[in-house]
Amino acid sequence: MVQIKEFAYTPKEHESEAACNSYLMSLIAIIVGLPFPIVNLIATLIFYLGNRKSTYFVRWHCTQALLSQLSILFINSFGFWWTISIVFQEGSITNNYIAYIIALFLFNSIEFIATIYTAIQTRKGIHVEWWFYGTLATTFLNSKK
Amino acid sequence: MKKSLFQGIIIALVFISIWLCLTQIKWVSIFEIEKKTDRLEKELGELLIKEFEKTKIENIFVTNTIDSLVTKICKANQIDRKNIKPQIIKNQEINALALPDGHLIIYSSLISKTKSQEELAAIICHEIAHIQLNHIMKKLITEVGLSVLISSITGNNSESTGEFLKIISSSAFDRNLEKDADLNAIDYLLKAKINPEALANFLYALSIDKNNDVINLSWISSHPELEKRVNYIIKYSKDKEHAKFQNILNNSTWEKLKAELNKIELEN
Repeated sequence: MVQIKEFAYTPKEHESEAACNSYLMSLIAIIVGLPFPIVNLIATLIFYLGNRKSTYFVRWHCTQALLSQLSILFINSFGFWWTISIVFQEGSITNNYIAYIIALFLFNSIEFIATIYTAIQTRKGIHVEWWFYGTLATTFLNSKK
Repeated sequence: MKKSLFQGIIIALVFISIWLCLTQIKWVSIFEIEKKTDRLEKELGELLIKEFEKTKIENIFVTNTIDSLVTKICKANQIDRKNIKPQIIKNQEINALALPDGHLIIYSSLISKTKSQEELAAIICHEIAHIQLNHIMKKLITEVGLSVLISSITGNNSESTGEFLKIISSSAFDRNLEKDADLNAIDYLLKAKINPEALANFLYALSIDKNNDVINLSWISSHPELEKRVNYIIKYSKDKEHAKFQNILNNSTWEKLKAELNKIELEN
């Protein structure tokens, strides 16, 4: 799921710091933004936009951090509105709902742990690629070249 | 790009598979959600019914007559009679309301003002439908919030009790809930061999008498609009097949019930 790979060049200290911050940004936003699922996406998007003109290493990690929030956004938004509909309309908690919330927490936890791990590794200048999001980030940045 | 798309689909499938696997576990029983909801409803019902203790009518003839009406409706519709707890209240307002845990409150003035036993049965059916469809708890949770309901039970707060009663008695249910209750009431009436047009007649009579300030707003101004409500009740009941309509009470019992209530209302 998470792989350490060789990057095209060795990133400098300030690049590692900026790349690491892109992950930390999403972590802080998750904590601040709960239970609203959009906050972490906005935070990483702002950070991504702020580093558009930065080096490739920083841009690559900002893109991965941003893209990783997208799937979580869909999962969390669905869970959020389902909860709202239970509270304000149906009023009944079903097996399907509880199962969804557990799956949601599971995915969020995996994402949370992966983000912490990636932030630590990136700070050391190690390039960490996530399955799917890493591929997507490379495709996205190459298409912009 | 194809690789990313393929990996994206895999992630979506993994999430859906985990969710579907988790749905196989009976979480509702594990977390005892139904038990907890039932307990909350029971305690709320007990809390709210206390508010009516002072004005409760204890006349045996009146309570027995209403009980027999409710029993007949429940029996015809396979509704557990123990779940419906009717209580007649001495009150000048024309109103009936369903409380949590199956408590069915009927105001004395409402019985006095109904023109026939079918009309009274229709109102009872409407309130039973609210109980059976769990509308009261839905409404309370929507308007007050689950946490406030729970804290009101544990905190024994009399102010919140009054607030809940106000919500239940003074405002109408959501448009769809009200329609659901009306249509279910028609089914109950037909199964009990009671003419469902009585419900429309009662609403129509209220609409004519809408300037009367003792009529409770939940019946007169309920959503959907009264005229529409009368129309769909007539349309829905016309399409239904039914057995020959019968009286539940003897005419003499019905007359005696009204006379007894008039007497009670005149007392102090």
